[in-house]
Formats: sequence, structure tokens, C-alpha cells
Amino acid sequence: MTNLQTKNQLNEEYKNIKYILTSTMRSKLILAMYESPRNLEELRNDLSKPSATILHGLKELETENLVKKVQKKYQLTSNGFLLATNMIKLIENWSAINNNTDFWDNHDITCIPKELLKNMHLLKDANYITSTTSDLSNAFNKYIDLISNSKELKIIMPIYSENHFRHIIELLNNNKLKYIELVISEEILKAIKINGTFRKYLLENKKVKIICVKKNLKLFLTYSYDFMSLTLFFKDGHYDDSQMLIGKSSNNLKWATEVYSVYRG
Amino acid sequence: MINSYDLNNEIQFLAKSEIRLKIISELEKNPKTVKELVNTTNITYSSISSNLVKLEERNHVTKKKNKYYLKPLSKIYYRNLMDFKMSVDLITSFDDFWGRHNIDQLTLDSIQNINDLKDSKLIKTTPLDIYKTHNTIKEKMIESKSLKAIFPYLHPEYPQLIENILKNNGHVEIILPRNMFSKMILEINEDIRKPATAKGNLKVYATSKELNLYLTLCDETMSLGLFKNDGSFDQNRLLISSSEKSQKWANNLFTSIKEKM
Repeated sequence: MTNLQTKNQLNEEYKNIKYILTSTMRSKLILAMYESPRNLEELRNDLSKPSATILHGLKELETENLVKKVQKKYQLTSNGFLLATNMIKLIENWSAINNNTDFWDNHDITCIPKELLKNMHLLKDANYITSTTSDLSNAFNKYIDLISNSKELKIIMPIYSENHFRHIIELLNNNKLKYIELVISEEILKAIKINGTFRKYLLENKKVKIICVKKNLKLFLTYSYDFMSLTLFFKDGHYDDSQMLIGKSSNNLKWATEVYSVYRG
Repeated sequence: MINSYDLNNEIQFLAKSEIRLKIISELEKNPKTVKELVNTTNITYSSISSNLVKLEERNHVTKKKNKYYLKPLSKIYYRNLMDFKMSVDLITSFDDFWGRHNIDQLTLDSIQNINDLKDSKLIKTTPLDIYKTHNTIKEKMIESKSLKAIFPYLHPEYPQLIENILKNNGHVEIILPRNMFSKMILEINEDIRKPATAKGNLKVYATSKELNLYLTLCDETMSLGLFKNDGSFDQNRLLISSSEKSQKWANNLFTSIKEKM
């Protein structure tokens, strides 16, 4: 047997989340009251449980100061509301990952800053696309489509890809693209310098701002005013150009902006 | 109507057992053998190994050469769970600060990032020191080169404190109720106030909307005060913190309340 002291310590450490998360009744009640106060009948319908069960759960939550009864309606207290908001964040973080499990599970995600891993809920409505054997460059073509209509781009570029650079230069020369910021490593910068065309149109171009960082870059992140895209490396260190996560909501952009600012410094 | 939020089984599976949580927290640091887990946690061999089997079945850990590894996705799940744990702990430990108080003006973003306040201290007045909350803030304001604040009520010392910061060429941004404008701002010496306003060193946002939050952001400290549910300001409790995260938190909250006006 694990000794009593160890057991008590463990119980103490995790008791708060256990109380909330392991009771389906308690967590469902809290979530049901999140949007607006509910009366008993509404709660009975919400949870499809008999009154006695619901009342028992409500009593427990009242004792913990998470719920209060005002006239005939039950509502969350301030504490209850703070807790519910964070519980929903947890659920959404979890489901944002589950919506694109293959994308996250296939790749090296150690490059994503800790703080942003805790805010995956911002990506809950993002989706990934995959290149198929019949359309090997599906992801790449989609990427070119996305950047083609942008006036401004911010990119973390972990690879030296002539294909990508050529398209970017074309957009700059057409004057469609007015400003681009590229976060790259010293290694990539060196490679760009060696290529005469790239040096001229990227390094010696007022519309291009190069930010050279010492960090190891293992993510290809792009964002503009209306989209963000992300491609990653496989766990074995190779770049994967076949899967790309695309997001267009303001939350998706917020996530991308924050990742970018961590790397840009 | 029940909303679409639902706790999935995996969250419950992990949260249900302290032993599993403890094992995961150890594997999150680095991969370990069963024996190493027994030694670091003081949990019995049999509990550890039976829970490892369950974790392996559900694809949270893998075994390579006797060592157990936490899967990358499970690492994220675990961190999110701990992030939630921290927020629940924080809400619980400042129970009498949040409880029976109005939190309507906290933004969704500030509530979701409430963990940024984790190094806060709750300052309470005592019968022997009934001005403790005010004096704490006053001290910070005297030391500070700049100030951002939401003042929902007037304290007679504020005009002088603001004046001092402006005298030293500091920046001051204040959100206050419109009806306090003359008593707070016009009390500041005109010879200091006018040039500071012209230079952009003093920015005042007077609103006719209800303000039910007290916030100050000095150079190195932020403080937060709330109104009670009965509508009166709680002068006896103040949450105060000097961590970098809390200052960023306060700054974001200040900015979004300012933008809403």
C-alpha cells in the first residue's frame, strides 16, 4: 500500500480539479448555468435527470459558493463564473487539439511556445489540409493562393525554399504585396545572400524586413489580416510540406500573432 | 438548451486518479523506469505499474527499453489540465476577493488568463490599519514614474499624486467617471496639467458608462479592486502583484476597457 502520508499529499494537491472534473453532474450543472440563470425545470431538461439528483448537485455547489439561488433561478456566483470560464477554456483547448489530432500528433510540436500550447482553444475553428498522392502540391498551391491576395505578410521561415522565395518576389514586384517581414535563422540568411536574385529582391528591398534570429526555427508560420497558416516538421527532423493548418478567424490570427511575437522577440 | 461544452472522457480519466496525475507529472519532466517512478513518488510498485498499463492502453505513454515516455499530445493535455488546476487554486485561494463581488467588467480574455495573477497578494485592511489598502497604493504611486489607472471613485489625495508623476515628466493615463473629472483632474495644478496634456503625458478618458472596477498599473506593481454585489466599492480588499505577467494582464485589461469607451 502507498503510505497514508503520500496519499494525503496527493489528495490535497489535486482535490480542487478532482472535485469539479470527475463529477459529471457538477460539471454539467456549472456549464448549464454559464450562459444564463436557470430554474429547476430548465436544469431538469438540460441534464435529463430527476429533480432530486439535480437538487443534490446544486446543494453541493451552493456549499462550495459556486452557485446561488436568486428568486427561483439558480445562477453562478462570481467564483462559479470564473471557474466555468476556465473549465470551458480547458474543454476547448482539448477539443481544438482533437479536431486536428493527426496534424498535431504527426509533427514535432516542441517548437510551439508553452504559453500558446495553453491557448490552443484559439485554434478550435482552424482546419488542416493534406496533399494527396493525386495532388502532391495541394498544400503548397493553397499556400500560394492564400498569400497572393495579401498586402502585408509576416512569416517565420525555417526552410530555404526557392519556390517560396520566387513566389514572394513575384508578389512584391507586382506591387500587390506592400510589406513583408521574414523571421529567419542565420543559416537561411547566408543561403539567401549567396543567391544573386534573392539578395537583390529580398535583402535589398525596402518592402522587405528581415529579422535574423539565433533561435532554432522548426515551424513555418504565416499570417496576414485575414488568414494564418502553419506547417511543421516531422518528429524525425524533416520538414513536412504536405500538411498545412489554415485558420481565418480572429482567434486564429491572435494565436499566430502571439507565436510570431515570441519568435520575433 | 444545453450548450455544446462537454467534458470528454479523457479529461475525466486523467483527473480521476491522483496517482495517474502524479505519474504523468513525473514523466513530463523526463522519461522514467517503473523503479524510478516508485522512488520519486513514494507510490507502491503495484499502483504505479497498473496505472502505467492503463495509460499505455489509452495511448498517453509509450514504453521503450524499460523507460516510459509521455506522448507529446498528452504532454499538452496535461499542461492544460494543470493550467486549469492553477486557475481553480487561484480562484479558491482568493475566495473572499472574488466571492460576492462584481466581476462584470473583467474581460473574457482576462478571466481566461487569470493565472497571470498567481503571485498576487491580497491586501486587507485591519481594525488597526483601516487605510492599509489606500496607503499601499499611495506608496506605489509615489515611487512610480508612470501610471495607468481606472478610478471609479475619488480619493482626495489622487490629484496631488498624479501631479507629482507629471512633474517628473511621467506618463499618466486615467479612466474615470465623467462626473469626477473636475474634482480629480481640474484639481491638478494648471501649470503642470496643461503642458502635460499638450505633450501627451496626461491622457484622461472620462466616461458616462458605469465603472465597477478599480485598477492601477504603476512601474512595477498592479493592483485590482472590486465592487461588492450590493454596488458599493470594497475598500477593504485589494489584490496586488509585482510579477511581469500580472502587469501585462493589467495592461491588457486597461487597454480593452479603454477601447470599449
